[in-house]
Amino acid sequence: MTVPTLATHAITCVVFLPFAAGLSLLVVSAFASLLSRSQGLPKIVWQVVASATTCLTFLLSAVALWGRFDPEATGYQLVERVAWLPEYGIHYFVGIDGISLVLVMLTTFLMPIVLLVSWKEIGRSPRAYLFFMLFLETAILGAFVSLNLFQFYLLWEVVLIPMYFIIGIWGGPRRIYAATKFFLFTQAGSLLMFVAMLVVYRLNYLQGGALNFDLIAVAGFPTVGIPLLQTIVPVAGAPWWSTQAWLFVAFVLAFGIKVPLVPFHTWLPDAHVEAPTGGSVILAGVLLKLGAYGLLRFALPLFPVAAKDFAPWMLGLALAGIVYGSLVAMVQKDLKRLVAYSSVAHMGFVLLGIFSLNLQGLTGSVLQMLNHGLSTGSLFVLVGFLYARRQTRLIADFGGLAKPMPVFAAFFGLVVMSSIGVPVLNGFVGEFLILLGAFGANPWVAVVATSGVVLAAAYMLWMYRRVVFGPLDKPENRGLMDLDLRERAALVLLVIPIVWIGVHPNPLLRRIEPSVSLLLQSIELRQLQGEEALATLEPAP
Amino acid sequence: MIGLDFSVLAPLGFVSIGAMAVLLLDGLLSRSFVPGMSARKRLLTRSRIGTLLGMFSSLFLVLAIYTAASMFWSGVQLPFNLLRPMLQLDALSSFAIVLVGIAALLSVWLSLSYLPAAHINYGEYYALLLLSTAGMFVLVSAVDLMALFLGLELTSIPIYALVGFNRRKLRSNEAALKYFLLGAFTSAVLLYGMALLYGATGHTDFDGIRRGFAAGGALSLAGLALVIAGLAFKVAAVPFHQWAPDVYEGAPTSVTAFLSVTVKIAGFVVLLRFLVLALPELGDRVSILLQALAVLSMLVGNWMAVIQTNVKRMLAYSSIGHAGYILVGFATDTPEAWTAVLFYLVVYPFMTLGAFSVVIALAQGGREWESVDDFSGLASKRPGLAALMTLFLLSLAGIPGTAGFFAKFYLVVAAVNAEHVVLVLILLGTSLVSVFYYLKLPVAMYMREPRNEPSQEASSSEFVVLALCAAAVLYFGFFPQSDPLGSGLQALDLAGRAADFLQ
Repeated sequence: MTVPTLATHAITCVVFLPFAAGLSLLVVSAFASLLSRSQGLPKIVWQVVASATTCLTFLLSAVALWGRFDPEATGYQLVERVAWLPEYGIHYFVGIDGISLVLVMLTTFLMPIVLLVSWKEIGRSPRAYLFFMLFLETAILGAFVSLNLFQFYLLWEVVLIPMYFIIGIWGGPRRIYAATKFFLFTQAGSLLMFVAMLVVYRLNYLQGGALNFDLIAVAGFPTVGIPLLQTIVPVAGAPWWSTQAWLFVAFVLAFGIKVPLVPFHTWLPDAHVEAPTGGSVILAGVLLKLGAYGLLRFALPLFPVAAKDFAPWMLGLALAGIVYGSLVAMVQKDLKRLVAYSSVAHMGFVLLGIFSLNLQGLTGSVLQMLNHGLSTGSLFVLVGFLYARRQTRLIADFGGLAKPMPVFAAFFGLVVMSSIGVPVLNGFVGEFLILLGAFGANPWVAVVATSGVVLAAAYMLWMYRRVVFGPLDKPENRGLMDLDLRERAALVLLVIPIVWIGVHPNPLLRRIEPSVSLLLQSIELRQLQGEEALATLEPAP
Repeated sequence: MIGLDFSVLAPLGFVSIGAMAVLLLDGLLSRSFVPGMSARKRLLTRSRIGTLLGMFSSLFLVLAIYTAASMFWSGVQLPFNLLRPMLQLDALSSFAIVLVGIAALLSVWLSLSYLPAAHINYGEYYALLLLSTAGMFVLVSAVDLMALFLGLELTSIPIYALVGFNRRKLRSNEAALKYFLLGAFTSAVLLYGMALLYGATGHTDFDGIRRGFAAGGALSLAGLALVIAGLAFKVAAVPFHQWAPDVYEGAPTSVTAFLSVTVKIAGFVVLLRFLVLALPELGDRVSILLQALAVLSMLVGNWMAVIQTNVKRMLAYSSIGHAGYILVGFATDTPEAWTAVLFYLVVYPFMTLGAFSVVIALAQGGREWESVDDFSGLASKRPGLAALMTLFLLSLAGIPGTAGFFAKFYLVVAAVNAEHVVLVLILLGTSLVSVFYYLKLPVAMYMREPRNEPSQEASSSEFVVLALCAAAVLYFGFFPQSDPLGSGLQALDLAGRAADFLQ
């Protein structure tokens, strides 16, 4: 067994570093408590080590993944593959392309900020909180780099466990309800995906492929991956409602619940409102992306014909999400609920871009995932800071905060602008590309979606006005402290990429575009092949 | 070696001799007190004798496991003939004997600390436990209906006594009576089925039944249905499950742990052997019967578990649900599915015994932590126990990273490959339901405020059992098939070897 080093196993090192640190902390702490009959390592040691680990993970990912990623090359890079259960075609198989690179960077970037933000917030068993956070980071990163369907499913499920505990233990008053709902909703989708995954696996085998869960066939690895399965349309009779359609629906439900797609979004406001600030940031910033990423990585390439057939419906649902999310956000009284519903609307944009099925739309979606992670993450952070001061999140309890908290108001303003999509900030680039893509798919869709941009401006600015401007009429708000150094540091870190992407998105686009266009090419190729296969199946007249 | 090859009987012999020895020693030691000596001065109190005999009996179980395991490795196939083949020690039976033996051994270790805590630490407990284990050894190696019935009765009768072992507890008595009456009734049903099969085919041995089955027509089918019903009672499949919740709740927890695991292993193994070897083919009618049992067990078991507030009852209904999952493998009826069933039986004991041993570790002074509310805030008082309980429950729910996931995975793959997609959907749907009730305990332990003061530290024997179960759940959760540590524990391959024998 070779020892993984950064040179040969960059991805593995980055992915498993947080969990390894968490586990060692746990073990050392357990021994310390045995020796000294105390509670284990002091809280501050945990905090310092955990924060240092997440910072190191970010640096490693910047140097070893972002740095060594070749934007010119197409396909997956830094690939590693080790047999795990080879008889069933299950391998430990990781690699990154432009899409996963962006999301990995987002995750490693947000995690140190999350720990910084929850430095004081977590009163109850802070050690367990830090352990769950480190565990969560490894699980999420692992899911983003998986190239084996089975491995992806495994990590997708494992992500649930730490998140469930983070919401359920450190959340608000209705945390148990919210955590259970979150778990059951996601699990329902996962189980559907599980069946669909096994059917894909079986069909792949029946159609002459190997017994394999690998997503791609890689040069140098002799096995054949699932994508050669372009002809999963073996059902005679109605081609419309073919096997591929069923499988596609199962995958879309699994991922759609997490995105969230509109009729399945009801777990999200509950989970967000009850989760602690750090949990909300990770949930909105990264976990939702896991759903959209799954659609891009698995649902589209595996079921290209069905994806094309269902695209109009999916666009409709995405629009419903945009409009519905915005309208509901407008009437919210609770700040966190408002941000949660704005997430529904923003993720609607992401879905819109994905199912435009063209270069601009898909590129915009990937960028918008990143943007949403940054801006919504920042909004949750800001709301968390307010809550820490006043123990309330109701908009009506605030007003005129610009006077006692000018720095807060400035940051808040900037983040609100980013969330609305004001030019020169990050949100603009993504939404613009998505609207361009949607226009290419269907001009009317773009028209309706644009109303979403207007609505976003309306609810965000109205909320901002009610919280920050107006008379300072509540006596409790007069003596509010402005942000301290720790809080400012967290926000500065978040604002840097927000501005940077808005001004100079090229380094990102340069890395995203080749992967997206490769994805599109393979989808189109397989659509053609799939339609040919369908034509041969139809009975001759 | 003379005419009969007695090495077939070696594992059975060890536990039977152990049972007798324990019974004898218990009698001798208890009567060796000098009359008139005050209770405090006695070196050997009844309780201490009990503990001693418990340790003594684990020795015999280890011997039985060792001999069965070495026979499994050497791959012998030995029939034991009394006029005609009655028992057979082959890959399947030695595999099952090892499993039952390990489960019994772990139960004995759990009992070592539980019995004193419940003030029922008497030596005959271990004799009964060993006798019942001997019955299961007969059961899993039976190749004749007579041996099967003998094994079943030898298994059940000591368990009736064990369930009622806590004589001072009303619920324990009630459970024993209920189990005994229903069990006796089922034995009659089973016997009637055997009689019909004999009438239809003229044989009681599996081989003969297979040859004569088709000629027997409806009569043999009726006999078969009754035999399946009898065995379904033992593994608690719906609609033959009503005894399970009451018995699980009423019995001393160490007995619940023992019977929930070992009887299930033995019952499923004998059902597997009977269905595969005594039938020419499964056929549509029997397949539908098994599918109905599977679906009903999954639905009823998991839905009823949702509304339980008593942990032991909840685990009872969950075990009914698990019986349903395993029956999916029976209905699928391919060599792949048999392997999956046997793999499930490797994993199931560890997660179930693990969960019960947490319940046992929390028992003190005759009072047990039975309701979900009792577990409130356990994580802040005893983080280790809470984490282990969570691990076992996640495994029972089939969450990836635990052995329970792969147990379900192999079953589902086998069923999908045989195109039983509806069964698979029900399996996964009901496991979603199961997540809901399994989460109740982690919710209570981690997310509610503490209510009870938990007991002192877990005793060393409990610690060993907990550590073994947790290690197995994690190890099989990552390496069900590969063998990175060179331990020879490739569970799936071992199960496959046992199942190969059936082909």
